[in-house]
Amino acid sequence: MNIPIWNLKKQNAILGWKLVLPSIFIIGILIIYPIMSNVFLSFYDVKMVGDNTFIGFNNYFNIITDPDFFNSLFTSIIYVLSTTIGTTLLGLGVALVMNKEFKLRWLARSLILLPYIAPVISVVFAWKFIFDPVNGIFMHITVENLHLFSERFNLIGDPKYSLIVVIVFSIWKNFPFAYLMLLGTLQSIDTSCYEAADIDGASARQKFYYITLPYLKFVLGSLIILRLIWNFNKFEEVYLLTTSVKVLPVYTYFKAFTGAFEMGQGAAIALIQFFILIFFILIYVKKVLKW
Amino acid sequence: MVVKRTNILRKTGFFILVISIILFSIFPFIQMLSTSLKYQWDWGNPSLIPKIINLDAYKELLGFDQQELDVPDSIRKLLDNPELSEESKENILNNYRSTGDVFPFLTYFRNSFILSFFAALISVILAIFGAYSFTRLEYRGRGSIRRGVLFVYMFGGILLLIPLYQMAVKSGLASTEVGTAITLVIIYMVLVLPVSLYMLGNYFRTIPYSLEESAMLEGCSRIKAIIKIVIPLSMPVISTIFIYAFMIAWNEYLFASVFLKSYPDIYTLPFGLNSLFQSKHAIWDRIMAASVLTATPIICLFMVIQKNLVKGLTEGSSK
Repeated sequence: MNIPIWNLKKQNAILGWKLVLPSIFIIGILIIYPIMSNVFLSFYDVKMVGDNTFIGFNNYFNIITDPDFFNSLFTSIIYVLSTTIGTTLLGLGVALVMNKEFKLRWLARSLILLPYIAPVISVVFAWKFIFDPVNGIFMHITVENLHLFSERFNLIGDPKYSLIVVIVFSIWKNFPFAYLMLLGTLQSIDTSCYEAADIDGASARQKFYYITLPYLKFVLGSLIILRLIWNFNKFEEVYLLTTSVKVLPVYTYFKAFTGAFEMGQGAAIALIQFFILIFFILIYVKKVLKW
Repeated sequence: MVVKRTNILRKTGFFILVISIILFSIFPFIQMLSTSLKYQWDWGNPSLIPKIINLDAYKELLGFDQQELDVPDSIRKLLDNPELSEESKENILNNYRSTGDVFPFLTYFRNSFILSFFAALISVILAIFGAYSFTRLEYRGRGSIRRGVLFVYMFGGILLLIPLYQMAVKSGLASTEVGTAITLVIIYMVLVLPVSLYMLGNYFRTIPYSLEESAMLEGCSRIKAIIKIVIPLSMPVISTIFIYAFMIAWNEYLFASVFLKSYPDIYTLPFGLNSLFQSKHAIWDRIMAASVLTATPIICLFMVIQKNLVKGLTEGSSK
């Protein structure tokens, strides 16, 4: 009697592998292998045509002696930290507001999601127009109405301001995601907690610090770590808005696909980025997913 | 009295807060729509309502009125000169003719659609069987597969770009237009496969196993049970994931910009529009109309899947 059951188990296992194998095969060849081959490529002078030549640690040497690399690492850190803090705080604020009942709340809730779902390319053009030196409303208000600047200029193209614009853009684009996750958790808080607190005479602030925040702690933590990971990878949202903010992915892109096409160096930078990323991912996996 | 007044104050304050949040979120969209409907002389006007509605940009992008010419008066006078040959007249006119070649929006739209559609379709089909396997069938290693999928999802495209490009070049795929298109479909499919597997896996765990079991007791094979029971039951979630995958591919710029550079015929919307924006000047009306037309299908699709997607996206963090 035992044999057929054992057979069934074996059959199931075989079927399981058969069904999942195509996916694993594809992920293996086109994700795992390429990431690994960055290691290999980073020791070569990579050429478009002809064979690559082995150059040892030269790529790494070139990178760490290049002040541009450290500038871009620094830019990346500022970008990632401020966008993560910004999206989380704004998302939290908006979630708290949208958790209150009011008329047409469903409409408000859908409209807020628009920045997150709209294609990057579309909204990037809209932002570019808003900050356009000739036609944009931002220059109209700051120059003609508020006299903050003496004359119109290209704010997005100006290295002094472009990083700020890129950060604000990313916060605008991604806060709905934070808002969505936080709102979901807020709605699951039992209202009787607040009622009990009311009876005890707790102020709104006390209720927030002692009831709401502890409830949100876990989601907030996972949000922050996910945002750190994702924003560290961001390319489109920076590059399409302005090419003057060189976060790490943009720097890699310029190194590898413009000028001298230093793909070997590009691979080396990608690898460095990979190790920084792994660190955050492991935190996420350990603390949030608790594997 | 005092209580009442603070109440009213509080309500107005709250109302203003809600309105400003909404305005902050949608202002760029209003700006986009507004500029797409304005004439050039109206662009610098900060008012969002066009003085005169101008539909030319949309007409041009969608391929109506391609022959309509916008020739300045001075050039018209020049053209009236009888000494000018027909040929040179034609040449001058061509400079002002806005044809599909100048702004091939529909071509980009079609390319983006085809690439995204096939990438999403293949990845969803693979994901259905893959996710079913690691949620329903028992074998050693299935837990690691499920986790590995999420792990892979965290790596950004830039880490894959150089090696994948090298692979495409060295294998010869990047040297033909068809090969490049196929390469991009495969890359997009891979980029969305991990998240599809992950979201579908989460969903399959919520379907009661007894349904498949009873089908199999009645003599269905496992594969048949998947096709006849699991897939129809999961259709809302499957279509959600399909659309989500479609949206990711529709937005992709990084790989498109590297792989498509020498094949203008298969430019996608993000890459095509950005190249046009950089190479031409004073095309705000058309760029904005193109932005509206690029965003509209995505926003409509999102409205369809909103509920399911919100659930799927928030699952990973709230558990």
